[in-house]
Amino acid sequence: MATTGIQNHERVPENLKKQLALAVRSIQWSYAIFWSISAGQSGVLEWGDGYYNGDIKTRKTIQAVELNSDQLGLQRSEQLRELYESLSAGESNPQASRRPSAALSPEDLTDTEWYYLVCMSFVFNIGEGLPGRALANDEPIWLCNAHFADSKVFSRSLLAKSATIQTVVCFPFLQGVVELGTTDLVLEDHSFIQQIKSSFLDFPYPIISKMSSSSAVNMRNDKDLARSALDPKILDTTMVPVIGCQVFEMASPNDSSNGIEPNQLAEDSFVVEGINGVASQVQSWQFLEDEFSNCIHHSMNSSDCISQTLVDPGKVVSASKDDIKAIEKCLQEVQECKDTKLTSLDLRGNDLHYQSVLSALLKTSHQLGPNFQNCNQESSFCSWKKGGLMMNCKIQRDGIAQKLLKKILFEVPRMNDDRLLETSEENCIKDDVYRPEADEIAANLHVLSERKRREKLNKRFITLKSLVPSISKFDKVSILDDTIIYLQDLERKVGELESRLELPELEGRTNRKQKDTVERTFDNYGNDKISNGKKALNKRKASNIDEMEPEIEYVVLKDGSIDNLTVSINDKNVLIDIKCTWREGILIEIMDAISNLHLDSHSVQSSTAEGVLCVTIKSKYKGMNVASAGMIRQSLQRVVWKC
Amino acid sequence: MENSSQESHLRSENSVTYESPYQLYAMALSSSSASRHQRIALGSFIEDFNNRVDIVSFDPETLSIKTHPSLSFDHPYPPTKLMFQPTSLRKSSDLLASSGDFLRLWEVRDSSVEPLTVLNNSKSSEFCAPLTSFDWNEIEPKRLGTSSIDTTCTIWDIERGVVETQLIAHDKEVYDICWGEARVFASVSADGSVRIFDLRDKEHSTIIYESPQPDTPLLRLAWNKQDLRYMATVLMDSNKVVILDIRSPTMPVAELERHKAGVNAIAWAPQSCRHICSVGDDTQALIWELPPVAGPNGIDPMSMYSAGSFESLRLDDCGIILFKIP
Repeated sequence: MATTGIQNHERVPENLKKQLALAVRSIQWSYAIFWSISAGQSGVLEWGDGYYNGDIKTRKTIQAVELNSDQLGLQRSEQLRELYESLSAGESNPQASRRPSAALSPEDLTDTEWYYLVCMSFVFNIGEGLPGRALANDEPIWLCNAHFADSKVFSRSLLAKSATIQTVVCFPFLQGVVELGTTDLVLEDHSFIQQIKSSFLDFPYPIISKMSSSSAVNMRNDKDLARSALDPKILDTTMVPVIGCQVFEMASPNDSSNGIEPNQLAEDSFVVEGINGVASQVQSWQFLEDEFSNCIHHSMNSSDCISQTLVDPGKVVSASKDDIKAIEKCLQEVQECKDTKLTSLDLRGNDLHYQSVLSALLKTSHQLGPNFQNCNQESSFCSWKKGGLMMNCKIQRDGIAQKLLKKILFEVPRMNDDRLLETSEENCIKDDVYRPEADEIAANLHVLSERKRREKLNKRFITLKSLVPSISKFDKVSILDDTIIYLQDLERKVGELESRLELPELEGRTNRKQKDTVERTFDNYGNDKISNGKKALNKRKASNIDEMEPEIEYVVLKDGSIDNLTVSINDKNVLIDIKCTWREGILIEIMDAISNLHLDSHSVQSSTAEGVLCVTIKSKYKGMNVASAGMIRQSLQRVVWKC
Repeated sequence: MENSSQESHLRSENSVTYESPYQLYAMALSSSSASRHQRIALGSFIEDFNNRVDIVSFDPETLSIKTHPSLSFDHPYPPTKLMFQPTSLRKSSDLLASSGDFLRLWEVRDSSVEPLTVLNNSKSSEFCAPLTSFDWNEIEPKRLGTSSIDTTCTIWDIERGVVETQLIAHDKEVYDICWGEARVFASVSADGSVRIFDLRDKEHSTIIYESPQPDTPLLRLAWNKQDLRYMATVLMDSNKVVILDIRSPTMPVAELERHKAGVNAIAWAPQSCRHICSVGDDTQALIWELPPVAGPNGIDPMSMYSAGSFESLRLDDCGIILFKIP
């Protein structure tokens, strides 16, 4: 298949693509295809050349050179051809990497492009199919509503449906058939065909002096890149005048940089060809028309020299409809050399043909099962029947559904987990693990209530955290841990206090009681004043700490110490009450510590009695660095209990 | 235990049998280059510490499987999943990953297998929570995601051997994970939900499906790589393959329910966006072609294969690999 394609390419004149391009672009249709008489099989039309002008999904920007839309179109058509060839090459040689060089991949194609691509695989017997009948009757066929057409009339109707190709026109041209198609509905108009034929395609071909075959080979090697680099300007200028005009007689001495002999070129579009070193194509074009002696062409394809020589006479003879029998032998020989696949494909029905091509292109022939039974190899799968093969089904072995899967998911982790017995569960999840909030797009009641429950839970945790003073981390586990420790501590203290009730009253306890009341009043005052909930929370925290402090003091007192330290915070005001053993310089140290905490003391009262220092400091926060009550207490404790 | 049938009429040209000495579960196909034969890694399922991973190679021309005793290695506990690096960057060797107690990387050379790394996502412990599955990112082959029973998914940079991200993905055990794009993955869990995560926004996930009965675990997930709008999942104790369209969350676009017993594994066709294969306890492998619109009577599979009972499958260019257990 691939080799045929390449040969086609060689055989069909290069400038035909340009002509097709001009034709289809001027009428804004989707594609143009030239079906040429197959060199391999007599009486068969196959893909000669084509130009795609329809919708394009993606265009991979591989080219380095900026191309205009015309060249982009040409390039796209080339790429589609390349893709087809690489795909069909992959089919005949599955070991080779699937798409070696194609710039496009099947995923990049629109439906219309698929249609165009799959068309490349079609062949028509003369007299059959749209192109075949057009050639046999030697008259144009205009098909409207192609996508609804009977598959006997238009074998690609299903394909056309998927690509929404609505109008297809075929008319014989030269020794083949030109097919044009569009996604729009265009009513039959014979003058329209005539116009296309005359204005774009029926160029009179000038006679070109023969060239040496070696230069022809060189020129042939000049690939598209070189061409595209050269011709934008010329193409642009020629586009306009060609439309509607008949013939430009424009003899221009051609000083091409490729070292081609100066050619007498008449038609303007050939100027392009000549400069680009594809003049040999013009020559081969021309030899179809009249001359028989032209054999330069053959040397172009050195690898396929013999078959090429066989092909060319065959083609030319059939073209001139002369002495067909004499050549038939040669043709048969050629045919034998060819890939037999194409022939066998052709023998099948068109639907099967389409399926097999698609499955080959998609490489899913094994998986597509019964619908694609015409694949070369038989699949192990058979088509599905309702309730079929019931006797073979042993449903639910051992009564356990999905047994092995469940073992893998449920039991194997447990096997692994046995080692983990000594490591605690929470070790497995780190603190910095993200816990994404699940966003539900749909209003699902279950999910919604679950989310609400979680939100409530989080709120309660925050409340709990604000109630417990010494919480260092803000994750749920440490909140709970700290709460537990705190509660245990409180319980212990309650126990101690209860036991103390039986003891004789200690001096200072009443004092403390009074102070507590004072502080409470103070707090209440604060509460009234501050309406902001968040600050109230802060303050509550502070007052909680305050409430706890005297209790600590009692413990301390019980131990025989007289040290006492309270810190209460109200908005930005901090009240510090210290009672401790006096030593030299302690007051200065306390003041230093307070200023280190960014507290601005505005009132200090101190008294010393019997070696005990009592200090009451009223201060304010300065700046933004706000130390918590706990921090202030800690740093003061460090100073006070240093000795 | 073997991956084909004993019935002679099914031994067609396209089915190859390899008999393993032990029960198998995990399996992986290498993304073979043209020069080498495709490798298949097979993980044993023995309910014990000592398990094996065997590497065999498949020759599609002669349709034969060749064993390589030198490429067998020990694996602690059964591997819950095996996978070759999707696009092999190495010329002379394949990179194989296995999950279980840890994520392990192995270098499969021509004549030996070298353990490369053991990846542990827990800094505080020498053990990590057991892994149920993982998926290798095809677009970014250095990125790999694991799912664990500790409700998390961990995203690894295997080139550097470090954790890129760890997410608490679900409320319960995570059973399967699947990449969609370079930074987007989805997972299924015992909490019965399918969630999609985007590494660029770690604060949110999207629930796109929840099992109809609350807390029916979802066991398997497959994201259609040809058409990312679709994914498929399997429920516990269910004969259904649920096809989801991420554009219409919570409502499955189709439920494929022609299996007569629980579904074990699912896989989308690698080259076609409309074909999915499923295997079940009813000893059948079914291939489904998803129609553009589902009819009122449900969707019938297009073809079937029946022999033994399948537990795992892979679809690849060369065909389908199925496991049968005795």
